[in-house]
Amino acid sequence: MAKGSAGSVAAAADPITQFFASLDEPGHLATFEGDSAEVEFDVLGVKKAERWHVSITNGDVAVSNRGGPADATVRIDRQHLEALVTGRLNAQAAFLRGLFTCEGSVSALMMFQRCLPGPPGSTGRVAPISSKTVMAQRGMR
Amino acid sequence: MSGELVQILEGNTFVVSDDRGDIESSLSDPTGLFSFDTRFLSRWVLTVNGQRLTALSTDDLQYFQTRFFLVPGGGSVYVDSRLTVIREREVADGFREELRVLNHDNQPADLQIRIDAASDFADLFEVKDALKKKGHYRARMADRQLVLEYQRETYVRETWISSSSPSDVDDGGLSFSITVPPHGEWKTTLDVVVSGGHAEGADRPTRIRGQRRVRRNMERGLEKWLRQAPRLECDWEPLEHIYQRCLTDLAALRFSTLSLPNRSLPAAGLPWFMTIFGRDSIFTSLQALPFTPELAATTLLALAERQGTRIDDFRDEDPGRILHEMRYGELTAFEERPHSPYYGNADATPLYVVLLDEYERWTGDSKLVRDLEHAARAALNWIDEYADLQDNGYVSYQRRNSETGLENQCWKDSWDSISYRNGDLPGFPRATCELQGYAYDAKMRGARLARMVWRDPAFADRLEKEAADLKRRFNRDFWVEDGEYFAIALDGDGRQVDSLTSNNGHLLWSGIVDKSKARAVARHLLGPRLFSGWGVRTMAEGEARYNPIGYHVGTVWPFDNSFIAWGLRRYGFKDEAACVVAGIMEAAEVFKGRLPEAFGGYPRKTTRYPVRYPTACSPQAWSTGAPLLLLRAGLGLEPQGDNLVVDPALPKRLGNLEVLDLPGRWKRMDAFGRGRVDTDRVTLR
Repeated sequence: MAKGSAGSVAAAADPITQFFASLDEPGHLATFEGDSAEVEFDVLGVKKAERWHVSITNGDVAVSNRGGPADATVRIDRQHLEALVTGRLNAQAAFLRGLFTCEGSVSALMMFQRCLPGPPGSTGRVAPISSKTVMAQRGMR
Repeated sequence: MSGELVQILEGNTFVVSDDRGDIESSLSDPTGLFSFDTRFLSRWVLTVNGQRLTALSTDDLQYFQTRFFLVPGGGSVYVDSRLTVIREREVADGFREELRVLNHDNQPADLQIRIDAASDFADLFEVKDALKKKGHYRARMADRQLVLEYQRETYVRETWISSSSPSDVDDGGLSFSITVPPHGEWKTTLDVVVSGGHAEGADRPTRIRGQRRVRRNMERGLEKWLRQAPRLECDWEPLEHIYQRCLTDLAALRFSTLSLPNRSLPAAGLPWFMTIFGRDSIFTSLQALPFTPELAATTLLALAERQGTRIDDFRDEDPGRILHEMRYGELTAFEERPHSPYYGNADATPLYVVLLDEYERWTGDSKLVRDLEHAARAALNWIDEYADLQDNGYVSYQRRNSETGLENQCWKDSWDSISYRNGDLPGFPRATCELQGYAYDAKMRGARLARMVWRDPAFADRLEKEAADLKRRFNRDFWVEDGEYFAIALDGDGRQVDSLTSNNGHLLWSGIVDKSKARAVARHLLGPRLFSGWGVRTMAEGEARYNPIGYHVGTVWPFDNSFIAWGLRRYGFKDEAACVVAGIMEAAEVFKGRLPEAFGGYPRKTTRYPVRYPTACSPQAWSTGAPLLLLRAGLGLEPQGDNLVVDPALPKRLGNLEVLDLPGRWKRMDAFGRGRVDTDRVTLR
C-alpha cells in the first residue's frame, strides 16, 4: 500500500479525510501493536465511489483510497461515517442500530474501533460531590 | 408465580415460560423468548379445540431443553383425558419445539391445534423499568412462515415462526386442522428463529449469530465439559453433588461473544445477566481456574478486545479501563443506555492483571501473556493515570454519567453499601479499600510478568517500588486504630469511612496487609460481629446500616467468602479458612448444591437454615464458582514453579477428599486431603 496516498488530501477540511490522514501520517499507532488487519470502508450514497482501505500490520498503519482484499468491509453512509470519526456516534451502538453493515471479521472491526475518538466535550473529570449533597439527594438530613 | 417459571437457555438466548410451556408476558410477569437482551416472543400460547392445557409434569432434560406433559382442559378436572400433548423445547438461536398429540381413544380425534404468537420486542432494560416503545410493529407472512417485526429507524428485529407440517398462518399465529387416528399420534416441529435482519421482504431470517447448533452438538458439548473436568470424591456426600451442580451450572453460564464465537467465558448470571461483566467474568474465572482454565483465557481475550481506548464520559470510559457491562438491546443501540459497553467500575482493570498472572501461574501459557502484554500494560497505566482521581496515590471512583451511570463502582454497588459507622454516606470520589488491595496485587503480579515474560526488568522494578509505597501508605491511612481493622474507604477529604466490613478479607487476598496487622483482621473476620456461623457478613453487626437482609450491608455472599478464605490462607490462617469453607459448603448443602447470590446474615444459632436473599438470578456465576475456590482454599492448592503444592486444612466433617486430574502446567495432578479441623473449636487470640 503506497504511503501518503491518502495524506495528500489531508489539507481538505473534510473530517473524514482528516481522520484517515491522522491514521496514515504517523504511520504507526501504539493501540494496534501486536495486531494486524485490513479494514475497508465503502461510503454509500455518494456520486463518485469513495473508499478507504486501512492496512494495519503490528501497529503500522497505511491508508489508501484503492480497494483490496479486506478482513472486514464496512458499508456506511457518509453522514454516519463522519459522525463515527468525530466521536459523535459510537461504533458498537451504530452497529446494533443497523447504521452500517460489516462483512467479514467482526474481530477486525472491533480492533479498528479502538482508534475512534471519544465524544466531543468528554473531559474525564467531574466536580467532587460532598457527603452533605449525597445525603440530601437520598432525603437524609 | 415465580416458582412455576421454567427457564432454558443457550448463550444469551433463553426462554422463560410457565409450567405448561406458555408465554403470556406482562409487566409483572417477565416471561418470553429473549436473545441479545431483546424479547423476541412475548406471547406463545397453545390451545387444543380452543382450550388451554394443564401441566401433568415438566422435566428439565438439560439446561437447554425442557419437556412438558400436558392434557387439555383447565384446573383439576380434566375435560378431555383421552389426549396427551407433549411439548419438547430446545433453545438454540431462538427455539425449536416438537409438539406431539397422542390420542388414547378408540375413535379418531378431529382437532384444532392453535399457537398464538406475538412479540413486544422489549429491551431487557424496558422489561425492568416498564418503558414505552418508540418504533412500530408489523406482522407478515413469508413462504408459509409468520414474521413478527419491529422497526425503529434502521433498527430492525424479527421473529420468524414456521412449522414442519402444513398450517394456516395468520398474523396472530399458526393453526393446524388435524385428525389423529385411534391410539395414534400427530406431531409437528415449530421453529422460532430470532433475526437482526433489515432486508425488506426477505424470505429468510438474518441470523444474528452464524448457524444454529443442533441438539447432538450441545449434548456432546456438555458431556465433554463434564468429562474433562477434574473428578471429585469425598466422604461427605453432599460435596460430590455440590461439585457436579457447579460444573453443570458453569456450563450453562458459558457465553460466546460475536467476535470469539468458538470460545466461551462465564456470563454473570442466568437469565437476566447472560452477558459479559468485567468484574463477574474475572472473579468467576479466578474461582474456576484450577478446574476449567479455558474460561480465564477467553475472559482475558474478550475483555482485551473491548478495553477502553478513549475518554468517553457517557460510558465512563478511559484508555486502558476494563469494561463493566456489555448489552445488545435497543436502548443501548440508540445510546439511551451506555452499555456499548459501559466501563463504570474501578476494580476490573487491576483484577484483569491479577487474572492474567494467576492464569499463567496455573497453566504456563506464557504465549497468552505475551499476546496480551499491550492490554496488561494499558491496564496498569490506567491505575496511575486515570484512576487516581484525587491525586493522592489511591484508586478512586466517581461516575461522569450522572443519569444512567453507576454510583458505586465496586462490587458492593448498591447506594448504601459504603457508609461511616454512624450510617452517614460519604461524598465522591470514593477510594474503597479493596481497590487499593487489587491495585497493589496488580502491580506485584505485573512486575512478575514483566520480569519473566515481557523481559522488562526496569518496568518490573518500577512496579514493585510503587507497590511497596502503596502498601506502606495504605497501612497508615486506612487502618482504624481504635477498631484494629481497615476502613471501608477514604472519602473525598481523605477521611476514613470507618465501618467494619468484609472488604477486609479481600485485603488479605491481595496481600496488601502488613503481617503485623493480619491477625487482628482475621480475628474480626471470624469474630461474632462479622461471622454469622454460615459465613462472613458484608457488614458487621453493630454498624448503623447493618441489616441481616440488606443487600450489601449484612447479608452473606458466598463469592465474597470464597475470596476471604483464599485471603486467610495467604496469611497462614489455615484453620480459620476451614471455618469459612465449612460454613459455606454446609449452606450449599441446604440450597441443594446451588448457592444463591446472597443469604441472610442472621446468626446461625438463631436460624437453623440460611435464609435466601430474594434475587432474580439463579444460578449466579460467582456463587457457582464459590465452592470451587473454597475447594482450592481447603486443599491449599498453590502452583509453585512447575509443581502443584497441596497443603490441606479441611473441616473434619468432610473426611477424605480427593480431587483427581487437576489440569495445569504439570499436565494433570491429583490432590488428597483429610478433614482434621474441628471448626467449632477454632479460636484466634
